[in-house]
Amino acid sequence: MWQIIKNEWKFLLRNRALIGISLVFILILAASVYLGSLQSKNQTQQYESAKDHVRKQWESIDAMNPHSAAHYGTYVFKPSNLLSSLDDGVNSVTGNVLRVEGHVQNEMVHSEASQMQTVSKFGKLKGSLILQYILPLLLVFLAFHSVSSEKQSGRLKLLVLQGAQPSSIVWAKTISVWLYGIGLLTLTVLVYALFNPQNISAEVLSRTISFYLSYALFYFIVSGLTVFFSARWQNSTIALTSMLGIWILWSIFLPNIILTSVEKLHELPSRNAFQAAMKEDRSKGIDGHNPSDERAKGLKQQVLQEYGVDSLSQLPINFDGIRMQADEEYGNKVWDKHFGNVREVYARQKQSYQFAGIINPFISLQNASMGFTASDNLHHQEFLLQVENYRRSFIKQLNDKHAYGGSKTGDWGWKADNAFFKSVPDYEYQPASLASVFPYYLTDLLFLSGWTLLVSLLLILGTKKMRVI
Amino acid sequence: MIHFQNASKSFNGTQAVQDLTLEVKEGEVFGLLGANGAGKSTSINMLLGFITPDSGSVQIKGLDTSQGAWDVGKLIGYIPENVNLYPYLSGLENLDYFCRLAGLKYSHDDLQGFLAECGLQNEALNKKVADYSKGMRQKVGIAIAYAKKAQVYLLDEPASGLDPLASNELSDMLKKLASEGAAILMASHDIFRVREVCHRIGILKHGQLVKELRSEQVSANELEMLYLEFMKD
Repeated sequence: MWQIIKNEWKFLLRNRALIGISLVFILILAASVYLGSLQSKNQTQQYESAKDHVRKQWESIDAMNPHSAAHYGTYVFKPSNLLSSLDDGVNSVTGNVLRVEGHVQNEMVHSEASQMQTVSKFGKLKGSLILQYILPLLLVFLAFHSVSSEKQSGRLKLLVLQGAQPSSIVWAKTISVWLYGIGLLTLTVLVYALFNPQNISAEVLSRTISFYLSYALFYFIVSGLTVFFSARWQNSTIALTSMLGIWILWSIFLPNIILTSVEKLHELPSRNAFQAAMKEDRSKGIDGHNPSDERAKGLKQQVLQEYGVDSLSQLPINFDGIRMQADEEYGNKVWDKHFGNVREVYARQKQSYQFAGIINPFISLQNASMGFTASDNLHHQEFLLQVENYRRSFIKQLNDKHAYGGSKTGDWGWKADNAFFKSVPDYEYQPASLASVFPYYLTDLLFLSGWTLLVSLLLILGTKKMRVI
Repeated sequence: MIHFQNASKSFNGTQAVQDLTLEVKEGEVFGLLGANGAGKSTSINMLLGFITPDSGSVQIKGLDTSQGAWDVGKLIGYIPENVNLYPYLSGLENLDYFCRLAGLKYSHDDLQGFLAECGLQNEALNKKVADYSKGMRQKVGIAIAYAKKAQVYLLDEPASGLDPLASNELSDMLKKLASEGAAILMASHDIFRVREVCHRIGILKHGQLVKELRSEQVSANELEMLYLEFMKD
């Protein structure tokens, strides 16, 4: 088998057209990873600078009523993830700025896609675009006539008479084409490492290895299946047409069809319905700005009783802050309920979509690729959750200051000093570790492995009685 | 060495080879004449083990070829009408590659020697096969068989499309191989070449061996007349 692989590589290395195509390909891949890295660095710089600016603004609050500060709020920025130059995933459409304030959970704004000058179906030139769509096509073009050309030229007879088993020929051809894909994949990862040496850590390394493994499995599936068709059909054109059909089905039609079906199966509420339901539930809670609200009156009685006094003026604390926090906590419950539902729907959608990998390994590859580069919706939801937790802690500190900082009920003119605002911690995003999210991508890896096994079986069993003539 | 015993083969109801009984001994060249579709290639493919006879047996050196081409393949040198080698390799590299597939590792000098024995000019050894003529490719094809010390040579229309010089060189090579003890079966349309090279000649018609004779029994013209007579329906 080794001799055949060596010979196949001689063909690859001596074919000027292929060398030319490979060089162009390598340049495009290197450029896409380099540009991705540049963009990533640029985004990181912008992120640092915006974060710094907003923090300085916050720390420059001289003296202000804490609740006014809660309305003034702050901004949280989504940092660019380390491996986004390999696969940007959903990052370009999710936005990267979130306003954090009292009473309300805002949505992210300023997505990259919304600010692009031109709109393309495939988005920007990213490593993932080439690795997922173009490179498999190149593997198909390399493999479709690998065995059929041997048959058509009559060389297969010579090879078999020289002692080469048909199964060895088919495996050797598969491995040769696969190694070509692996070579380009390795190069992509090396270019990434070259441009981002500062990013290399155990976490990035383990994520990159998982990313690499997913692509390596997928390239084997594509190479093996194409070689199988090439061996199975007498005519290489039929092998090419079959494989191109599968590629179109896998990468264009099925993902769209399955995604639409999954969205129908696990439907998210419409934005209007969602907001109306939130508003309605919210209206059932305490209105922090309305002292005559019936539920606020109940809370007042409870607090008065707790402090053993008869009126708000006798309270040593500021009841307004307590009421605001109660309002906030009720709002949090409403948010937990509605966003919890949404997150559950997302989880069900993701699970169903992942299971489509049983008929389409491309879906498993896309999921794994985005997941391992931390750029999928799961990681985005994790970011949003962290921001919401920060918002809650941020607002609570302000409300607590309002309540227990020394002011009395109704004293809206009371102000906390600059030292207090400086003491409120800034938002620090803690990216999810691979170990914590890996189980979510096991399904994808299992399906990719299953497909690899299936293709291996096809190569072993399906070509056992391969026609030599 | 080569032995067909009542071998028959049909494809989709069409009889390609019918009750073929034929033997080729060591050192003998047997020419199989016949029109297109007469069953020459099917007979060779049965010898190669790529087609199993429906009935009868096909053996090479006592080995049943239908039991798998691998064992029998070691004994066989097969020269098709067009020897399609790897065009991006030189003649020398092609020979080396095919030898290595057979588990044979020869030195550069040995490989050169085989090619020279088979008549390939020295200056062509390191040229890409893409630049070779049909005759040159055929010489490499024969060298591949020669290097693995094939005892049986099966040639399917080897002289078709060769210029007279190349054709003569091929005839000389086949005579030489036979003189070294190889059994050679050559399927061809070329009556004159067959008459010149072969010891015995068989005429196949609709899969049946309708005539078998020794080449010294007939002149080339008589053979042609005989052949044409048999080809008439």
